[in-house]
Amino acid sequence: MQLEIITPEVKVFAGEAEAVQLPGLDGLFQVLNGHAPIISALKEGTVKIDLATAFEITEKTSDLIEKDAKDAKIIRVTIKGGVAELTNNKLIVLAE
Amino acid sequence: MPSLKEIRNRITSVGSTMQITSAMKMVSAAKLKRAQDAITQMRPYAEKLQEILGNLSATLDISDNAYAESRTVNNVLIIAVTSNRGLCGGFNNNIIKRVNHLVNVEYAAENPRVLCLGKKIKDTYKKSKFYYINDEIAPVEDIFSVLSFDNAAVIANDLMKRFVNKEFDKVVVVYNKFVNAATQDVITEQILPIVKNEQENSAATADYIFEPSKQEIVEDLIPKSLKIQLFKALLDSNAAEHGARMTAMHKATDNAKELQKSLKLSYNKARQAAITNEILEIVGGAEALNS
Repeated sequence: MQLEIITPEVKVFAGEAEAVQLPGLDGLFQVLNGHAPIISALKEGTVKIDLATAFEITEKTSDLIEKDAKDAKIIRVTIKGGVAELTNNKLIVLAE
Repeated sequence: MPSLKEIRNRITSVGSTMQITSAMKMVSAAKLKRAQDAITQMRPYAEKLQEILGNLSATLDISDNAYAESRTVNNVLIIAVTSNRGLCGGFNNNIIKRVNHLVNVEYAAENPRVLCLGKKIKDTYKKSKFYYINDEIAPVEDIFSVLSFDNAAVIANDLMKRFVNKEFDKVVVVYNKFVNAATQDVITEQILPIVKNEQENSAATADYIFEPSKQEIVEDLIPKSLKIQLFKALLDSNAAEHGARMTAMHKATDNAKELQKSLKLSYNKARQAAITNEILEIVGGAEALNS
């Protein structure tokens, strides 16, 4: 699925993901490819992303992204709350 | 007629003023670019948030939300946004004029208070009885030195809390909206209680799963959208400031050029007159010797 993580100041991440784990208000949940449309409020926590391809650090990569030590396909982004919307296999996370 | 030396000095001084103003214009152009980028960065977030909120409020009445409660207005807070620095034309004066009008005429009976963001308005209102500040906001009052969402959120959060506690019944923000580099509009916008914007409901509402529930999501989103509204006003004002300064400095450079031109003309006139005089004297002297 396509994933975008945006804050009011910067676009943190945009790319293809296999699965995304989100800190929902009622607890952690994970969305996989082809999930039904969902809108969810998020609380403070970490968004864990399983990428389709290994994550590469480029000049434009935000410093909010944290790479997993073992698996190059996993990255984490810490958020202070927000909301996530998934439609047509496109997940948009509005983070703070 | 001023002496040649005086004119020469003036030409030099106008020249150095021109250098300063054109340098300031260039600096403002660069800063304007960055300020506009910040607005462009924020836009996708703001639009998506509006869209989700619009989606939700289409099927849900938000008028019973704590931030939507409109009650008899006894206490008004005016958030006035100016720049920290001058030399930007009427940019700050327009805001000050509008705030003066709001305080003395429009909200005169509703106990108006003014929260000053930006040094220029603060200098004007610091000593007045309308000046407002509290401990929570004080650390971020000088918001334009570090213009970040987090700082704007501090202000918004505090004001939302005070609105719910009925300390204020209405909060408006006065700022310069960025239209283009040469144009700014002074805008008075109501922040609290929230105004529901009547947008056409996107008919293509997908059949969403709501997690945890519609009601809770809306309650979570409304404060976010208020923060964004304030942040947007600040970014707009920031971009408008640099635009205004750019235009003002451009005009100043043009005026200096004009002035330099006319000074050069009168310098040359004076120089020629002096030469003519000298020749006349020499010729007159020679004539006197010959006769």
